[in-house]
Amino acid sequence: MTSIRIIPRLDIKGPNVVKGIHMEGLRVLGKPEDFAHYYYESGADELIYMDAVASLYGRNSLLDVIEKTSRDIFIPLTVGGGLRTLDDIRTVLRAGADKVSINTAAIRHPEFISEAAKAFGSSTIVVSIEAIRKPNGRYEAYIDYGRESTGVDAVEWAVRAAQLGAGELIVTSIDREGTGKGFDLELTRKISDSVSIPVIASGGAGKLSDILSVITQGRADAVSIASLLHYDAVQRLEPRRDDFSEEGNIEFLKHKMVFLKSGVASLPDIKEYLTSHGLECRYPEKKSARDL
Amino acid sequence: MPETSKEKLKALYGLPEQVIFCKRCVMSNQRPASIPEFKHLPDRRGATYLHMDEEGVCDACRYAEKKEKMDWKKREQELLKLLDRFRLNDGSYDCIVPGSGGKDSAYAVHLLKYKYGMHPLTVTWPPTLYTDYGWKNFRNWIEVGGFDNVTFKPNGRVHRLLTKLSIENLLHPFQTFILGQKNFAPKIALQYKIPLIFYGENEAEYGNPIADNQKSLRDKSYYSTGNLNEIFLGGVSIPELIEKHQLSSNDLKAYLPAEHQELEAFPIEVHYLGYYLKWTPQEAYYYAVEHTGFEARPFRSEGTYSKYNSIDDKIDDLHYYTTYIKFGLGRASYDASQEIRNSHLTREEGVALVQRFDGEFPKRYFQEVIDYLEIKPDEFFQLCDRFRSPHLWHKENGRWELRHKVS
Repeated sequence: MTSIRIIPRLDIKGPNVVKGIHMEGLRVLGKPEDFAHYYYESGADELIYMDAVASLYGRNSLLDVIEKTSRDIFIPLTVGGGLRTLDDIRTVLRAGADKVSINTAAIRHPEFISEAAKAFGSSTIVVSIEAIRKPNGRYEAYIDYGRESTGVDAVEWAVRAAQLGAGELIVTSIDREGTGKGFDLELTRKISDSVSIPVIASGGAGKLSDILSVITQGRADAVSIASLLHYDAVQRLEPRRDDFSEEGNIEFLKHKMVFLKSGVASLPDIKEYLTSHGLECRYPEKKSARDL
Repeated sequence: MPETSKEKLKALYGLPEQVIFCKRCVMSNQRPASIPEFKHLPDRRGATYLHMDEEGVCDACRYAEKKEKMDWKKREQELLKLLDRFRLNDGSYDCIVPGSGGKDSAYAVHLLKYKYGMHPLTVTWPPTLYTDYGWKNFRNWIEVGGFDNVTFKPNGRVHRLLTKLSIENLLHPFQTFILGQKNFAPKIALQYKIPLIFYGENEAEYGNPIADNQKSLRDKSYYSTGNLNEIFLGGVSIPELIEKHQLSSNDLKAYLPAEHQELEAFPIEVHYLGYYLKWTPQEAYYYAVEHTGFEARPFRSEGTYSKYNSIDDKIDDLHYYTTYIKFGLGRASYDASQEIRNSHLTREEGVALVQRFDGEFPKRYFQEVIDYLEIKPDEFFQLCDRFRSPHLWHKENGRWELRHKVS
């Protein structure tokens, strides 16, 4: 059995980590560097940085954050948001990303996946699928941070993306994203049953058993988690001196509020729980080995 | 634009002839302040528009500035005093909170009841055509949030006719809803003898005259009038509605403000909770999700990027489309300006969002809405063209284009 990867997902807008519900109502939770270090130290298997508004505004601006963090974080880093050309990908990889995630550009030009896979290798190319469940039970893929419908069937698109050379899929349920109501097991299962590449489930983790379910019932190979970890981390991280007043909704940080819809957990909590249910997880190596 | 400088273009509705965008948000000086709907005529006589000061900053942004510096502790003390004056512990209701179960009314009434120990009655003038999400949110508001509610459902035939007239005469599909929203609560207050009404967010935050905000007591002119002859619905006078459209005074009663004499005999205080508590719409969203089972629509509303603002009425999207036609300001302009003022967005982001989404045609519910109102699509589009002010619109290669866009 391969070990289950637990991947904290940082949605980033401008200089901040943000979190919404259904990708809406983006609260500022802190600085990406702080979260990234904390998760690395506490045993994350990989990290995902997603520029929340890159496609929406046609920009990409994570280079700074990637450069700042990749130097001393030695786990695979996937970066997504607004990557439209091979050059965009190259720049992000040069800055220190190990993989890139593509959604909007891939839906608009599916051949972009094969070009990217050819240029950088399949294992570098993650296709991100963000889906909303329709009344007829089918799933539709959305682009532009969950804002633009495409008419594309998410499951068919997953199969196509795998054929075109994607090395991995990250599958997000927009309906569940940020709600803490649990993953969309059906969506995850439908896609992981249709492709042979690894599927990372995303959107909805609110308690430990949700993670177990999406692995055992949804057949996810890896799990991406935001709120459940962030609302825990935000209590543990050293408060910043900067006042965050540049941009973003900072009411949450300012008033030290809590979010009632999602539980909180740390990476060790998650891994201990999964291990106790018979799953295999990777535990961080001894620090000294890495410092050599 | 050359033609603007050569000839003076006609501005309808008393709109300022020169279009100026605020330097901080993406609103322009064409944004209408609310007017009492029963005085709303096709030429919008007496209407006022968003004021820009000599530095090019709009009143709403100036208010946002004040909001940041406000001593909110002191304001909350004022609230506690007010509530102590009205709180009843004998089993009666002590205040009314009008709303539909959207994030703002959910936030307001939940705080009043469960934080401040009031005994609110929620009252609802329902949307003209509930969306599925709106209906579910309304149900959750009452069922999950835990409140008593009085809902008034107006006569469908009358409601359709008046809504249709308000579109034909004023290009204002939202008027019947606004009328109800403003007039209904005071009438229930009189009937149930509840002397205190709480609205949520203060309209002055969005650019109604700043003076409105100095005192939280709502100007009674919004919901009462002494003289029936001064009242228009859908831009048509009451006598004409009765004569030409075969409506009875009983049919119209639901849309009319409370009787002046009754209000004299039983004074009601109307307050904005947003005067006393710092109102951040995005945090109201989180609060409503956490406490009253509120859910945003997973997809964005047409004409904007947002997923949680005004999502309960199928007519909403059309409403913002008509503000785009009449004032050059669509839903993204309203949403982005609010978020810029709360510093959730930068102005640059706001401009990009407006350029991308403003004025997008609301096709999702369009057919259903105009079928319900018995208007043909062609008729609607012809109406739109009639309501375009020449100083805002011109035709380029056969397509209507705004002369002035935010940048």
